[in-house]
This record gives sequence, structure tokens and C-alpha cells, in this order.
Amino acid sequence: MSKKPRMKGKDITPFLVFFIPMLFLCIFLFWPLLNTFLRAFMKMGSKFSLDNLSLEGFKRIFTMPIYLSSLKNSFIVGISVTLLSLLIGVPMGYCVARVKIPGKKLILSLGILPVIMPSFIGAFSWIILLGRQGTLRIALNWLLGPLGIQIPTIYGLGGIIFCMTMTYYPFVFLLAEGAFSSANALLEDSAMLMGATRPHIMRTITLPLIIPSLGAAALLVFIRAIGNFGIPAILGGDTYVLPTLIYFRINGFWDLNGAASIAVVNVIITGTVLYLQKRLVAKRQYDVVSSARSEIKQHEGTGAKVFATIFCLVILITSLLPQITIIIMSFFTKWTGVFPEGFTFNNYIRIPKYSGHEIFNSMFLSLVATLLTAVLGSLMAYITERRKPKGAAVLDMAIMAPFILPGTVVAVALISAFHNNGIIALGGTYTIIIISYMIRRTPYVYRSVAASLTQLNPSLEEASTIAGAHWIYTFRRVSIPLILPGIISGSILTFSTLLQELSTTILLYGAKTRTVPIQIYSAVNEGALGEASALSVLLLVIVFIITYISNRSGKASLSSGLKMG
Amino acid sequence: MSLNLSYQKVNKVFNENTKAAVHALKDVSFTVNPGELFCLLGPSGCGKTTLLRSTAGLESITSGEIMYGDTDITTIPPFRRNIGMVFQSFALYPHMNIFENVAYGLRVRKVPEAEVKKKVTEVMELVGLQEELKRNPSPMGLSGGQQQRVAIARALVYNPDILLLDEPLANLDAKLRRYMRGEIRRIQKQTNITTLFVTHDQEEAMAIGDRLAVLRLGVVEQIGTSDELYNHPQNAFVSNFIGKMNLFQGTIEKSADSARIKDLPITVSIDHSRNSSDGKPGSPVLIGARPEQMSVSPTKTDDSVPGKVGIIQHLGQFIRYEVNAAPEISERTLEIDMPHMVQGVKEGDTVFVSIKPGMGYFFPKENTSNE
Repeated sequence: MSKKPRMKGKDITPFLVFFIPMLFLCIFLFWPLLNTFLRAFMKMGSKFSLDNLSLEGFKRIFTMPIYLSSLKNSFIVGISVTLLSLLIGVPMGYCVARVKIPGKKLILSLGILPVIMPSFIGAFSWIILLGRQGTLRIALNWLLGPLGIQIPTIYGLGGIIFCMTMTYYPFVFLLAEGAFSSANALLEDSAMLMGATRPHIMRTITLPLIIPSLGAAALLVFIRAIGNFGIPAILGGDTYVLPTLIYFRINGFWDLNGAASIAVVNVIITGTVLYLQKRLVAKRQYDVVSSARSEIKQHEGTGAKVFATIFCLVILITSLLPQITIIIMSFFTKWTGVFPEGFTFNNYIRIPKYSGHEIFNSMFLSLVATLLTAVLGSLMAYITERRKPKGAAVLDMAIMAPFILPGTVVAVALISAFHNNGIIALGGTYTIIIISYMIRRTPYVYRSVAASLTQLNPSLEEASTIAGAHWIYTFRRVSIPLILPGIISGSILTFSTLLQELSTTILLYGAKTRTVPIQIYSAVNEGALGEASALSVLLLVIVFIITYISNRSGKASLSSGLKMG
Repeated sequence: MSLNLSYQKVNKVFNENTKAAVHALKDVSFTVNPGELFCLLGPSGCGKTTLLRSTAGLESITSGEIMYGDTDITTIPPFRRNIGMVFQSFALYPHMNIFENVAYGLRVRKVPEAEVKKKVTEVMELVGLQEELKRNPSPMGLSGGQQQRVAIARALVYNPDILLLDEPLANLDAKLRRYMRGEIRRIQKQTNITTLFVTHDQEEAMAIGDRLAVLRLGVVEQIGTSDELYNHPQNAFVSNFIGKMNLFQGTIEKSADSARIKDLPITVSIDHSRNSSDGKPGSPVLIGARPEQMSVSPTKTDDSVPGKVGIIQHLGQFIRYEVNAAPEISERTLEIDMPHMVQGVKEGDTVFVSIKPGMGYFFPKENTSNE
């Protein structure tokens, strides 16, 4: 057979379009990460130079008590929060999906609230409730004191774990509920016809089938718990975890090299867990989509109904207490006893005065970053899904990397590479915050768009090509309109989470670039709980409205949003 | 004026230079005449869709040439080839109404609005959707047959040089499929566009195509009209893909048109034109006979082969007997159609089957499996 080289009548536009996101990732993700990695091997206080290589940073982690205890604490927090979330979320998911209880829809929509609320706001609400002068603590101690039970304060490791569990259990709950209610009822029916009892079916059919979902949820909780900055920052006191230790090293000592070492350890932990989860879950991936949906059997016994209702109510009320608390607090000046004192509207009236600039910054930064992320994420998803150039796999991997990078690590990497010491000096600018937001949130848009692209039959685009359209025309007239829902839901998720972003911003902000979450955080630290609450309520209302609108326009967006973390 | 479409030594290798390389098209050469409705027929994985997509430019071929008239279109990007294509899934745009779907190719070509309107109206009349065009709904609300018509209209509206149809009837139910293939043939003849029609359904291909090409594993096995392929298949594969052919192992006798079945003292003689083997005395040959060219009998005759009756199916016009002969004589179950029930033959009985005098085919010996 004769072969001759073939002239390809292709233009270079797709490759240019591929090149630009690649360049962005190289400069703002790969280089900072490499920089951080190298810096982790520099002596404390020494300049960034290959002559200063040493293992001092890592040695310190495993010798100095504060480092060692932070590492230990991070593990304890990560594992406990994951286990507790499973312990609460799975039974609750089962109750809602499989027991005939009233108000299921309400439970499901209220269950989402703790997730969409910024976690550090939850943390300071718990201070109002269970702090040293906490109202709930006083009440409970008065009630239980005679029995010799003393309620501990929310501060410290126990409080961090409690608060994080109350924040993150909805991930497990919602995914478990979804898995329990969408599992193929025919599989369970057939097991029952073969003579299996309900517990036996649960153990041999139902649970094994939902394990992949649970694994994904558990991983999500673990990664979030171990990367969370706000809760340990507010409740930790002198109990440190890795993210707060990073902040402490930079803010207290400007020890970038030390922070980099901790960041590397932090990433190794999340990376390992992600890898293990992939290995374990990949073996158990089943396709349980059933074509003939039959009704799932529900428990109807009174005992089961009462138990399930009480269980769900207790968990829901506990996890929603912080929201209720800050709404009340925002109308008072002080809340140190059982009842709040000094009713006032001043907390709200004064918002423009003490936070006008911060509100502008939050809106501006989030909006600009969301728009840029939407463009970048959609383009990358389109390129990797459709045009599949060489190197698309790298792009695909790079784009998911921020998923395992905690916010503080991204911040350390950007500071390390661009803080007024390199060719590009970005310290304290809007630009560096926008870039950090883009790096951290591109996966949201990317995943959401990639998901809608995989559902889109390629022949729709091929039909356009055959009809004579250049690929840019096809992209504009066919692809974009059809993946628009994906772009929008990804962008909404990006925007609403950026408004609450604390862990990256806190290391990158300057006097001019303070955001609302930063303002709330400092107000809490200064003890101005009324102002912090009013600002939090404002933030919550905005985020709630955005989430509500996006949920109404597409139910799928939220669950896919949850999965991407 | 449509021109012919010709393929010269077209090769396509997927994943070239890797371990997973797949040679999907092997030296494919043939010509489709101007205005002809030409069917590409074959089992899945035979390369028919690859050839169609290569014609469209959606796949680039590894070597060879695809010519339209005197123009080599091999390297022309798909959006400049002026081709119309109907996809198996129809690929209608859910975000556009049917007018905009059909007008798409005209909009790409920046045709003035008044002419767009005129051409869309014309082509919708051609496919019989003038009423639907007045309501102009989203294509998603239409029935399968109507969606099919919109897809055809969209492919025809800009007067393409070539029309490609990729299993266009596969998503329709059986009754509609038979109706639409008549419609497609009517529309194709009316527009007289050189057309390639890909299908795995031999009945459909024989019903609709002016000529057919049967492909197997990237190789064109035979090209011809339905009649030629059915009555004069060139090899056992084609004979068994176009209709059913019972095959026996045999050896050519002294004369090229008589052969002996295996070691049995049975000689089959055929009409000279039905011999596709090399005809050398003593060489192995496959003896073929269609179900209606054979008969079943409960009693042994001189030219019969023994076998055991499997299933007897009453199919209306005829009765189908499935008979298993010894595997060294015939590897697969024989199907024999008799005009009426044979007295004294039940399922599980031993019977004697024979090829009617002068009927049957000789094919070169080959692997008779049907992929």
C-alpha cells in the first residue's frame, strides 16, 4: 500500500486557542507550584535561590511541637469530620429516601443551607451559642448542671470538629439521599423475591451499590475539612491545623519558606487520599441507572416514622442554629447572656459606612473573576472534550489540580512566585486575587461545561461543519448555545462561592483590596459581633438569592456543583 | 449537474504507529455514478461509516484519493466540500426552530434573507413538510419521521454536490422505516444528487440502492445492483450477507461446473455462470444453495445429505426447516424453505436434504463465519 504525507487543510486558530489557556496555567499554576515546591527546601529566611537548599523546613514539621501538633490536629480533624459526617449523613439520607416522613422536600432544601453558608460565619455563630458566655451553653449548664454535666466551650479541637461536621455533613446527606432514592428498585425487588430479608438486602445489594457515591462524598468532606481555614482560625485559639499554621507562618513571621514546606505536606496528604479513593472506588463503579423505574419501597411503620422524623429534625435544627443566631444577633449590640441586649438597626444602617469599599471589592473581584473563569473554563472544556489536541490530557489534569489544593496553598504558591520578588510583581493588587480566584474556580466551570459537552452528540457540531461552517462559527452558533446551561450553572456556583472566599484572600489582600469575608473575620476578631452578623446576613441573603434562582432554573446544577466541591 | 464520486486506493488506519492500530479501510477503489443512489452495506466494523465520514472530511484518510468529478477533495476541509449529510441521530438543533435548522447552511453561506425564505420553503415542500413549516415548531416536538424529513431538508437546501446518509432509518420504527426509504428514493431521484447511503440492513440496501457495495473488514467484497448481488454473489460472504446461503464443503470434479460434496458419493452440477471458484479439478470449493433451492425428504435419495431436524417454523408463504448436517459437511445450521409441510417429518427426526438439480453456486473456499 502506498503512503504519502497528507497536507492537512487545517488552520492554526484551534492551536492558538489551546495555547493561551496553557500559557495561563503555566504562568499562574505550574510555575507557582514549582516555585513553592522548591521554596519548601530553602532555609528559613533565606532568599529563593538553589544554593540555599535544605531539608530544614520539613525537619521542623516533624520535630517542632507546634508543627507536629498541627499535622496531628489536621489528621484528627479530617478523619473525625469525615467519619461523623458519614455517621450522620447516611442514616439521614436513608430516612428521607426510604421512610415515609412528612416534609421531605423541605428537609432537602433546608439541608443545603449549611453548605451554602460561609463556614467561618457558622464558626462565629457557634461562639455566640457555645462560647465562654454563650447563650446556649449557659442555658444547658443551668439545665444539666445539677446532673454534674458541664458543656465545654466551642473553642479547641472538639469545637472545630463539631462545627465542621455540622457544616459538611450535607454533602454526605444529599449524595446518600440521592443514591438511596435513585437506586434501581428492581434489583431490590428481585432480591426480595429470592427470599432476602430487608437487612440482608441492605447489606448485600443497596449498600454495595451506593458505596461509590459515599466514597465520593467522604473524599469531598475530607478534602474540605483538611483545607478549611475559617473554622480553625476562629475557633482554634492556640490549637493550629495546617492551613492556620501556614497563615501564622506568613502573617506572623513572613516565613514563606516554612509556609511552603507545610503547604507541600498538606498537598501530599490530600493528593494521597484522592488517589486512594480513586483506586478503591474505581473497582466498584456500577451502572445502576434503570430504564424501568419502579417505586422504591418505603418504611411505613409508626416507630420508624417517629424515629426518622426526630432524627432529621434534631440534626437539621442543630445545623441551622448558626443561621438563626446571626440573624438575631445582627439586630443587637451584645449577646453575652441568655438573651441578646441592645436592639438596634445600626448594624445594618452603618454597613455602607464601615464596609462600603469591601462590598464593592467583593462584588468587583468576584464578578471579574467569574467572567474570566467562565471564558477560560468553557474554552478548556471545549478543547479537551472536542478537539483533543496532543497535551489535552495535561490540560485536563492541570485543570483538576486546584481540586486538591487548599485555598491557603494556592495563596502561598502565588505569593511565593509573584510577591514583589519576581519578574511579575503582584503583591497587594486586585490582579493577584483575581488570578487566585480563577485558578481555584476554573474546575467549577470546566466540570459543568464538560458534563454538558459529553451529553451533547458530536454529530450536532459535525452537521454544522458539513453544512459549511468554520469551527468558530460552529462554536458560536451551535456549541455555545447548547452548553450555555452548563456555563451558567458553573458560573453561578463560581460567583456565589467567590463572594464568601476567605482562605485564599486572607493571605493575598492588601489595604485596598479587603473583601466582605475579610471584614467579617476582622470584626469577629475585634469582638464586633453585631457588625459581623449584619454583614454575614447580607452575604447570606445575596448567596441565598443566587442559589435559589439557579436552582429554579436547573435542578441538576446544584447536585453537580456539590460533587465538584 | 452532478458529477461522479470516485475513490482511488483509499486507506484509513486509526491510531497509526501505535499498538492499537486499526486498518479500517484497505485499498478501497470504486466510482459512484452521477446522480446515483449508492449503498454501502456491511456488518458493523466493516468500515462503511468510516468511508462515509472520510467522504465528508470528518475523518482524514491515511492514503489514497477521493475525487468529485476531476477535483481531488481529499485535502479540502469538510466545511468547504459542499456536502449534505443526514446523521443517524438526525442531529437537529434543539435551540432552533425547524426553519432555522433548515436555513442553517444558507446562513453560513450568507445567502440574502429573501432567498433563504424561498429556498427553505421549496425544500420543505420537497420533503412534504410545508404544513409544519407554517407552525414552525422546535424540531424536538416532531415525530421521528418528521425529524427525518427536516434533517433531509437541512442537508439538501444549499444544493450540495454529494448527499451522505448515515444509517438514516435506524432510529425509526419498522413500518415508518419502509415508508421513509421510499420517500428518500423519491427525493433523491427528484434532486438527482450523487448519494451515498450507509446501512447494515441488506433488505433496506437492496430496496433503495441503484447499486450496492458490500464491505467486510475494510475491503470492498463486491459491487453491483441488488439483482447482481443476489443472483451472482462473488463469494460466500456476500452470498450469505445478501440473503441466506447454505454452504457445503466440496471438491471440484473433472469439469468446472460439477463438484462432489465432501467424501460423499454426491455430485452437484450448476449453471456455468454461478461458478465463482477457480474451477480447477480437485481443488476445494464451497457449494452454496439458497433455502428455496433445496429440499427436505424423509427418505434417502442418491444425491442427499443426512441431517437432523432442529426447529420447524411456519412462516406463512413457506415452511422453514432448520437442519443440522455433520459439521465437516456444513459448519452451520442449514435453512431450507419448503412450499408446504413435508409429510412424516417432525422436529428431531433424521432427514435427507438435497440441492435441486442445476441450482446452487460454487465459491472459493474461505472462512465462512459471518463476523
